Amino acid sequence: MIIDTDVHERVLYEELLPYLEQPWRRYIEDCHWIQEKHMPYTQPAVAGVDRADARIPDGRPAGTDLAFMQEQLLNANSHEKAILTGALDPSPSSMHGWYEMATALASAYNNWQIDKWLDQDERLYGSIHIAAQEPQNAVKEIERVGSHPKMVQVLLPIDDKLWGDPYYHPIFEAAQKHNLAIGMHHNEPPLYYGKWPKYFIEWHTLIPTSHMNMITNMVFNGVFDKFPNLKLIMIEGGFTYVPFLMGKMDQQYTDLRHEVPWVKRMPSDIVREQMLFTTQPLESMKKKDFMQIVDQMGSEEIISFSTDYPHWDYDSPVEALPPNLDGDFKKKLFTENARKFYPKF
Amino acid sequence: MEQVVCHTDELQPGEMMESTLGKHSIVVCRASDGHYYAFLNRCIHQGAPLSKGKLCGAPAPTDNIGEYNFEKDGDILRCPWHGREFDVKNEGRMLVNEKYKVKNFHVTVENNQVIVYN
Repeated sequence: MIIDTDVHERVLYEELLPYLEQPWRRYIEDCHWIQEKHMPYTQPAVAGVDRADARIPDGRPAGTDLAFMQEQLLNANSHEKAILTGALDPSPSSMHGWYEMATALASAYNNWQIDKWLDQDERLYGSIHIAAQEPQNAVKEIERVGSHPKMVQVLLPIDDKLWGDPYYHPIFEAAQKHNLAIGMHHNEPPLYYGKWPKYFIEWHTLIPTSHMNMITNMVFNGVFDKFPNLKLIMIEGGFTYVPFLMGKMDQQYTDLRHEVPWVKRMPSDIVREQMLFTTQPLESMKKKDFMQIVDQMGSEEIISFSTDYPHWDYDSPVEALPPNLDGDFKKKLFTENARKFYPKF
Repeated sequence: MEQVVCHTDELQPGEMMESTLGKHSIVVCRASDGHYYAFLNRCIHQGAPLSKGKLCGAPAPTDNIGEYNFEKDGDILRCPWHGREFDVKNEGRMLVNEKYKVKNFHVTVENNQVIVYN
């Protein structure tokens, strides 16, 4: 069995129309508004950023059809649970203006997600989309859908804002109150000095650095001391960078604690106690190398398997991991770590 | 064992199809030169079905930064997931490292029938 911690469902903009009031509806219906997208690269794989065999046979984009996802992913791999993380299109918290529209889109998306996915398959769990640029409105949305039994986390993109700033703390307070984790997934990561590098391969290689930016920001801005029950899951950055970051933050904290006296634990302890990392995209590793990294993290309980379905760099549950991992550890990796991490599981 | 997998007209140069050889799923490719090649339909990386990928070309290695010389159109089998490239005319060897290859099968054409052997 698997609890898959990163599955990307995709909405077609017209599917949001029934969930939008005016005037928001007409911007899509009449003006064909879509969120600005900036990636300058064309086709990194056979079918853009999707698995070529995950396109819906009728031509719709990958991730848009529940029955197809059930057949290709959930049934094929004995999924116990899958956590939907959206396609970052739209990504309300990434909008660089027009936060009112972002707020309306977030609500519409959540309602659509509940109707079309969470209520249709008991294995599916959801992420609450918010427009975090205006925390007071984001909190209202968390209050509105946070008690839904299948909403397990609040989704924040890793983009050009550092969410650890106290300005955004009401979001974390609301998440903690509703037993929701925070899930962070890169969108347009602040690597390469906030710009796109020349090649997709550069960007994709260094995605973990954007996760490192955010973790460091959240830790030293005191989020985890202020909200000791808050959980943070870092999605799609892998985990092999984590031992380095833990050691680096600990060493810096040992010297520079006086700058951030609100941080009261060693950063590596904060990581172990309040964070979880999804495994995909996995580098090819032998068991010995894989377990060495786990050992360096000082915990077998802070990584969780994810497929990233239906994207091109999908990790297969039966092929991606090194062979012969120990049974107890595999159980933690595939199900128990996620079960323990999410307050609602 | 040997098995007829298709009629020669069923595949044009640059096209491929999924078939079976005994218990194996295989992918039959017709390269740009019109010859037929057959491989195990399973990527050596994570087992993706190669027949769902693309028979296409690839930019040749070059010494000049910024230069793209697209070549071998119809001869490169590209995986549907991670996009790894296998040269069908070079025993299914991976472009980035020829040490690794997809398992290939012997193919003949007799009386307009494409026959794969294992």
